[in-house]
Amino acid sequence: MGTPRSQWKKAVLTVVALVALGGLVLGATWLYASQQVPPQPLEFNHQVHVQQLGLSCLFCHSNAARGKSAGLPTTNRCMGCHVQLEPKTEAEKILREYFEKEEPIPWVPVAIQPDFVYFSHQPHVSKGIACETCHGEVGQYTIAPDLSKKQNMGWCLSCHKNLAPEHFTRLSSCETCHK
Amino acid sequence: MAGGNGHEHTKWVMVIDLDKCNGCNACVTACAMENNVAFTGEEENAYGRGMHWLRVIRYWEGEWPNVRVRYMPMMCQQCSNAPCEPVCPVFATLHSEAEELNIQVYNRCIGTRYCANNCPYIARTFNWFDYEWPEPLNFHLNPDVTVRRRGIMEKCTFCIQRINQGEEQAAAEGREVRDGEIQPACAQACPTEAIVFGNWQDPNSKVRQLAQSQRGFKYLHELGTEPKVIYLASEKHDF
Repeated sequence: MGTPRSQWKKAVLTVVALVALGGLVLGATWLYASQQVPPQPLEFNHQVHVQQLGLSCLFCHSNAARGKSAGLPTTNRCMGCHVQLEPKTEAEKILREYFEKEEPIPWVPVAIQPDFVYFSHQPHVSKGIACETCHGEVGQYTIAPDLSKKQNMGWCLSCHKNLAPEHFTRLSSCETCHK
Repeated sequence: MAGGNGHEHTKWVMVIDLDKCNGCNACVTACAMENNVAFTGEEENAYGRGMHWLRVIRYWEGEWPNVRVRYMPMMCQQCSNAPCEPVCPVFATLHSEAEELNIQVYNRCIGTRYCANNCPYIARTFNWFDYEWPEPLNFHLNPDVTVRRRGIMEKCTFCIQRINQGEEQAAAEGREVRDGEIQPACAQACPTEAIVFGNWQDPNSKVRQLAQSQRGFKYLHELGTEPKVIYLASEKHDF
């Protein structure tokens, strides 16, 4: 039992605590959802292809050596090997479905740069920079992680400032990476 | 970059022969398509909010019926001593040492519009609103150029995306950029080849030879802006 005043105080405190708790739960849910990798049409496993089978990155992402975008493999590229394999897992069955429908797999890219950034794979690959330098140890992942928050401008400049001091003017100039 | 092929010293220059320009506005259209320049519409244009990176100025001469018109394509002159640069409080417009161009960094711009007010060529345009490209117009958007948002200043870049790609292509093939290989959209679209683009540092380039003409002049050069667009004066003005 308390005075009416202390009861009033208690009620206000409870409401404040409930609102704070609700906000916290909402915030945590949002944070969790924003950190989730986007759902892919099929669960491609990099670990099996890179670590166990020893495929090179460029075998599937072959455009990285030639152009701006590394590109995603066509269904035909996948089926080059998978045509000889009996589909066992769910992913393999989905792959075969796309192949038989003659449709491309609608992959969701996870390493996307903002609209105002110009990036081309070709100069980086031709200078011998390993894919893992920017993309992490993809060969160890079962699901490709979302890199868009890690790949910011300071992170790009950490190499651009140090790797080739003789080309510093060019490598640190705005128009090299902003379009 | 490109393994010492010397293109850290390129100096891009444009030569516009006013004798050849017939005012067809193909350059204006090509520029708008290449660089995702927004269409503002008639009403906005009347308010002075039209957006053009490149416009064709008309000069009327004589009395009817002996009227003659002269045309002069006008865009950012990529001044070596640019009046827009020192007034930007956030260094969104600045001089690229690598390309010797006046560049605009859209994601840094906060829209003070000091640069446009200080530009003697009136070459800069401002996004007063978020302009839309309703379907199917959005399919023409060039993925190599940022789509600018409201509150951002923009101007001719000499098609920096084409310069970068041309240089990258040359570097990948281990050679220097050939003369005429890199063309901005306006030069490519010009039916009379009045607009020529090239590297000033290459003594054999077409721009270097054209610029030696006695007709050559730089617009408002008395301001000391040192423009990189050289006009060749029209010889037909006495009629």
